[in-house]
Parts: sequence; C-alpha cells; structure tokens
Amino acid sequence: MNIGIAGAGLCGRLLAWQLLRAGHRVTLFERDGSGAQSAGFIAAAMLAPFSEAVAGSADILTPGLQALQDWPAWLAQLARDSGCAVPFGCEGSVVVAHGSDRAELHWFYRRLQGMAAPAAGDCRLLDGPALRQLEPGLGAFTQGLWLPGEGWLDNRALYQALDGAIVALGGQWRQGHTVSAVTPAGLVTDGATLPFERVLDCRGFGARDQLANFRGVRGEVLRVYTPEVQLRRPVRLMHPRYQLYVVPRPAGIYVIGATEIESESLAPVTVRSCLELLSALYTVHPGFAEAQVLEARAHCRPAFADHLPHIIQRGALLQVNGLYRHGYLLAPAVVNSVLSLLAGGEVLAPVQHEVADGPNLTCQRPPARPRGIKP
Amino acid sequence: MSDTWHAYGVELHSRFLLGTALYPSPHIMQQAVQASGAEVVTVSLRRQSPASGGGNRIWECIRELNLRLLPNTAGCHSAAEAITLAKMSREIFDTHWIKLEVIGDDYNLQPDAFELVAAARDLVADGFAVFPYCTDDLVLCQRLLDVGCEVLMPWGAPIGTGQGLINPYALETLRARLPDVPLIVDAGLGVPSHAAAAMELGCSAVLLNTAVARAADPVAMARGFRAGVEAGRHAWLAGAMPRRQTAAPSTPVLGTPFWQQGQAHD
Repeated sequence: MNIGIAGAGLCGRLLAWQLLRAGHRVTLFERDGSGAQSAGFIAAAMLAPFSEAVAGSADILTPGLQALQDWPAWLAQLARDSGCAVPFGCEGSVVVAHGSDRAELHWFYRRLQGMAAPAAGDCRLLDGPALRQLEPGLGAFTQGLWLPGEGWLDNRALYQALDGAIVALGGQWRQGHTVSAVTPAGLVTDGATLPFERVLDCRGFGARDQLANFRGVRGEVLRVYTPEVQLRRPVRLMHPRYQLYVVPRPAGIYVIGATEIESESLAPVTVRSCLELLSALYTVHPGFAEAQVLEARAHCRPAFADHLPHIIQRGALLQVNGLYRHGYLLAPAVVNSVLSLLAGGEVLAPVQHEVADGPNLTCQRPPARPRGIKP
Repeated sequence: MSDTWHAYGVELHSRFLLGTALYPSPHIMQQAVQASGAEVVTVSLRRQSPASGGGNRIWECIRELNLRLLPNTAGCHSAAEAITLAKMSREIFDTHWIKLEVIGDDYNLQPDAFELVAAARDLVADGFAVFPYCTDDLVLCQRLLDVGCEVLMPWGAPIGTGQGLINPYALETLRARLPDVPLIVDAGLGVPSHAAAAMELGCSAVLLNTAVARAADPVAMARGFRAGVEAGRHAWLAGAMPRRQTAAPSTPVLGTPFWQQGQAHD
C-alpha cells in the first residue's frame, strides 16, 4: 500500500519504519527535519509500567510489561536496519522518599501490591544498606522501593536510528512541510492535497483541532550533565507536592521530569517549575548542585479524556493519538494495533478503537470562549 | 423528608462537595463526581496560565458536568494575590462564588488568618460570595462572619493529609456557638468515616478532593464518601445517645434472677 504519515514524532517514525519493513510504500511528513519539536524527543523515555500504573491507570500495567519485552527485540532489529545501537537499560528502577514523606512510599507499595499482575509481587521495599548496594548514589535515603525490570531508552539516539532505518528501507521524507489538515483522501500541505491509499495522522498535540475530547497537558523537562553523580537506574522521588524522576543517559547526562500542568501553553519553562524540579533534584543527590543545565524544554502531552491511546478510523484515514505520558511504554501496543488494523485485525489493549462515520473532520469541539464574555 | 441546606441563598441537597484535581484522568474525574452526587465542585485556576488560554480543555470537562462551580484560590500566600485570582476566576467561570484560600505556612498549608480576613473583607465588598478555608479557631471564624462571610470552611486537618478530624472539640464548639452558620469541613479527610464523624458533629457539609482522587478506585471511593456523609447526617438528625462509662444492657434484665446477674459478673 502507498501510505502517507503526517507527523514524525515517536509514533510516526516507528510506524514508518514498521510499515516499510512490512513492505509498504511510506511517505513521512515532518515540519522540521529532526523530530526536535515532538513531545517524544523531549521526553525522558522511561519504560516504567509499575510506576505509571500507580500514577495513572492500572490498564497500562500489562501492555507496559509487554513493552519491556518488545523494545529489546525492536532495538535489535533497528540496529540491523540502521547500523545504530540505541542505548537501553532495564535494570529496574528505584522509588525513594525522604524520611518525613515515607508514607508516600508505603502508599506506592500498597498500591502496587493491590494490582492483579503477578509481576507486581516482585517489587520490594529496600532498607538503607540494600538500597545503597543497588544504587550507591542514593545515600540520602534510608528506604526505597525497587521495581525490577523497569527501564529507559535513549530517545534521541532512537530518533536518529529510525531516521537511518527509514532511509535505508526506501521511505520518503518530506521535511519542512507543515501538514495543515489530514483527510481520508490525503494530506493537505502547502495548499495541495496529496493522495494516498492510507493516511496516518500521528501529529500528537499538533492534531488537536481535528480531535474531540482531546487536550494537551503541559510538561516541562530538564537535561543536566554531571560527572559527580552515578545513577544507573531511573529514580523516582515521591513527595506530597513535588514529584520528580531522574532518568540516566550515557556519559553523565540525566533527564529530569516532569511537571504536569493543565495548560496547552507551549511557552518556555517557567521559573517556578525550574525551582520545583531542581530543588527536588538537589535533595536526591547533592552532587547535582554543580550539574550543568543543558536544556529546559516544555511541550504538551497529547491526551484523550481517558488518558489512553486511541485510533480513530475514518475510511482510509487512521488518527493515531493520545499517548499522553506513556509514549515509549505504549508505543509497541499502538504500533502493533495500527499494523493489525491495516491487516484487517483488531487493536491491542489498552488502545481504544473508534470507527467514525463520514469524512467530516471539522473540529468537534466548541470554540474556546473568549475571556470576559459570558455564555 | 426534605433535608436541604443553603449557601448564599442557594438551596443544596447534597452535603458532599468534591474537588476536580488529581484524578487519574478527566474521564475518571467525571465519573467520580457523578457517583458522589455532588452539586458543587471546586476548580482551580492556579498555574494554568489562563491568560494564554491554558486550562480551557480541562474546564470544559468540568463544565460538562453541569454543576455549580466553586473556584478556589489555592496556592495564594497573600490577600492581594488571592483577590487577583478571585477576580480572574469570576470572569472565567462566570460565578461570584469563591473558595478563599490564603496559605500562611508552606509546610502544612495552614491558612493565614490575618490575610484571610483582609481578603474576605475586600471580596465581600466587591460582591463575592466568599467560602473561606480557615482553621477551626472560633475567634477567626467570628471575624470572618463579621466581615460578611455567610459560610465557613474550617479544616478537619491540613490539606491532603487524610488525618481526619484532628480537633473534634473545636468543631463541636463552632457548631454550638455558631448554630445558624453553614459549616463545611474542608480538607484533611481520608476515609468515609471521617466524613461521617464531621457530619455527626452537626457540620452542614464536607468538601474533599485528595481522598477520592488518589484512591485506587476513585469512583468507588466517591460512592463510599457519599454514603459516609449521608450516614453522619442521619445520625446528627436522629440525635445520638450519650456516651457512658457503665455498660447498660440492650436487652431488659427485669425478671432475671439475682443469682444469674451475679454469675455474669464473676
């Protein structure tokens, strides 16, 4: 099939690669050319099914655990297709809380124990010595929770590897084209409709005007560099107000995230958010005080009202969206669902499948009410 | 039997007010609010940069519930800050109701009594219906009434702690001394029995958020609190028996031979 994909963030790139592998012709439209404007590029790319199931919905635990199996296989294939190895870790993650917030840790643990998945039973509370044995850098804490199997991947290396694989497999890039609309008949860019047999809309937050019950949830993420702190595993700090995760990258780089604000503002990171993230970071390890702040970026997570990914089918068009804060964790389920639908099959949990009637793609949302005007 | 109450002239049937933050998703928030039977829900402007259109989407989810909105001034530390946010809220949510929060201590989020009274005075003068989040101090509550508040929202415990009523004596005092003022216990409740306890003391209603939103199943917890509020209300209306030190049998012992009673105590 001749397939056009609008949006080359995590979802668009992965789908392009997988569809090329399946023998389709693929044209991928991206507004910049590096993926640097996509939410998946900024993200910490944690693979944390336990933590995310506790923080959000238990529906994502099983598919998230499956993703921990799927990613290594994908990355091995990708290395063959692109010649690039993507750094990946799956040595578990650690949840910590300071002494006065210990109740948060126990709450987290109880919530895990209440989950149906047997794997949740492998999560263990660690005392100070056991915690330091696992992660010597966490000497500030006397208790922690170990979540075996959780991991991370280097998302920017992944983007690069996918670029290489897509080119190597004969995919067509259309870079620097802003897609203004996506219809079952094709993609509208620069005022012209380009026809395809199948059209995939993977624009994430950029597709918001074409989706109902959809919103952006602002997130702010920092990247810092320090050779002073050695953490092998993602660390999540539980605090009643300031929650934080620290995700290691190769060569002393850490991704620090993330705020979660009900706003669709794409403005730069605020001072308040920096203060919250960095003061929490400093309490994880004082060595972060001298870390260099490499980057502070904000984006909007694309979310439906149930916070689950949706595939909306309108004839030849599939709108694939709503990965929210679980892009890397749920990408395998989403990508495999699209492949399955294109082959006449069903979606995989927890992906929600909607079949919409008619090609009408006008915005179904009431226009925002101007401030000061009463309804 | 009709058992309604009034806040600023509005007749309300439900005595359970619910917050709309911290839920796993907007979808679950909507279901939990529906399960709670609440007629009033709180909503926050803070940190959503309304000037740039932030927050609109989540507020649509809240407006879809078609309930009375009670915007709050969460996160404000001075009267001036709270007044500004209250005015913005009035414009955005089209209501003159405001839950006034002015925080005086960042650790336990305790209200700043002095700034609270100052902000309440100005807001009442500006036509707001002020629902002040206050401590359970009788004199503070009296001052809030003096500046024109018609409803009081004393805390059960600090926000988000889930401790339940840490000072039932103070709440009983408020009820006894201010018998005609609607008292909404706000903050600090963790489980439905805490809500029942507040209602048993004669409080008019309870307001909470975290205990429902952060439950493993928020919709079920909303149902639980709804039942707790109703149970406590029934108890208050019914009039509770006195607490006693000495046991008194519920089955009459009249006619029981003395030697049997004696045996029972051996």
